[in-house]
Amino acid sequence: MTAGTLAQGEATGTFYIASSLAAALDALNDYGPEGAAFAGGTWIMRAPIRHQPLKTRHVAIGKIPELTEIRIGTDAIEIGAAVTHAALASALADLPDFAVLTAAAGRSANPAIRSLATIGGNLATSDFSAADCVPALLCLDAQIEVSSRSGRERMSLEAFLTQRSTLAPGRLLTKIVVQRSRHKTAHARLPLRKAGDYPVAIVSLSFDVDTANYVRAARIAIGSVETVARRWDRLEAALLDRPLAPARAADVAAELAGEFVGRESVEVPPWYRVSVLPRLVRRATAAALGA
Amino acid sequence: MALSLTVNGDRRASAADPVTPLVDILREEFHLTGTKPVCREGFCGACMVLVDDRPTPSCLMPAALAEGSDIRTVEGLGTGDALTAIQVALETCDAVQCGMCFPGMVVTLTHLLATSPEATRDDIRAALSGNICRCTGYERIVDATLSALAVK
Repeated sequence: MTAGTLAQGEATGTFYIASSLAAALDALNDYGPEGAAFAGGTWIMRAPIRHQPLKTRHVAIGKIPELTEIRIGTDAIEIGAAVTHAALASALADLPDFAVLTAAAGRSANPAIRSLATIGGNLATSDFSAADCVPALLCLDAQIEVSSRSGRERMSLEAFLTQRSTLAPGRLLTKIVVQRSRHKTAHARLPLRKAGDYPVAIVSLSFDVDTANYVRAARIAIGSVETVARRWDRLEAALLDRPLAPARAADVAAELAGEFVGRESVEVPPWYRVSVLPRLVRRATAAALGA
Repeated sequence: MALSLTVNGDRRASAADPVTPLVDILREEFHLTGTKPVCREGFCGACMVLVDDRPTPSCLMPAALAEGSDIRTVEGLGTGDALTAIQVALETCDAVQCGMCFPGMVVTLTHLLATSPEATRDDIRAALSGNICRCTGYERIVDATLSALAVK
């Protein structure tokens, strides 16, 4: 570790502020299972509330230039893992094809949290089921870049979600890549103050609609209902090659919602998360058509 | 290694562990008790401070990350005995309440006045969405903010 600042405490171990990606990867590799990347900190700092022990060694990645960049190209956008929700929402505000991601990043939590919480943290925190950006990026078919000292690899977000909780020490989510399109996208969520303002259910969707308003491609993702966000394949198939209408989309969602099993939590009963899905599908579809 | 923090313009040292939440150092070591640790989850806003002029829930900021930044608590907003514009407006409009959430409200609204001089009622409500008032006295706080904006 050569580039960065090291702070050491007796009780909680070391806190290393990396100034380059290479230094961060070195530190994470050296620390092994005792170490953890620290991005915005909005999840890690609440570990005591969850009665979870903190790792003894943290590597702060929020000041690494490479990880805080957003590159908007004509074919794709690249988002560094340490980009905050606020920065992301601001950067994408004028791009209609990313309305779903702008809404996900710009409406989650509250303004101060959005200035701290990062997109990478949102995707990598496997215990956080109510992450807004996960379904938003699923419906955008995002690719994830994971880096380690031995190199970089790309994978789909879906693949990343299956392995994020077992990612080997020293491997770090570093970038999100999303192809641009002319799809209509939207994000609908139902937050409840009773649920700590977390959304109890999230619908993110992306439609390719032709000039006659027929759906030529659909990607719909559901978050916060089950433990891990996922695509709603059957709803996508049912809407394909038909005119897109909010009421019909909601009706079909109501017919198919039984495939979801709401997660257990103290905030709301499992059935409630499922029951609100048709209304959210309707709302999101209407928003997409208006976009 | 001691942490070096700049709080309300003063350089302060702390021997706390680097992941200690900033709120705990502000209160327990520096005795700046206007900053309240309430939910410790970033939801309530009672621990809000300005870090490099940005509202930040100090319960979620490890002290090590605050090194090198300008930290301003509610105690450091005014100058001497002079209140700031938002403090005057809140007092004039009788919007001051029990004191638990209020310092955080003042910090958030200080930032709003500095960055959004054209803020509307909805903008103020959005800015305060991370500041929870158990007394539910939002309306007078919003009215006071609008009056402060009008003066500016």
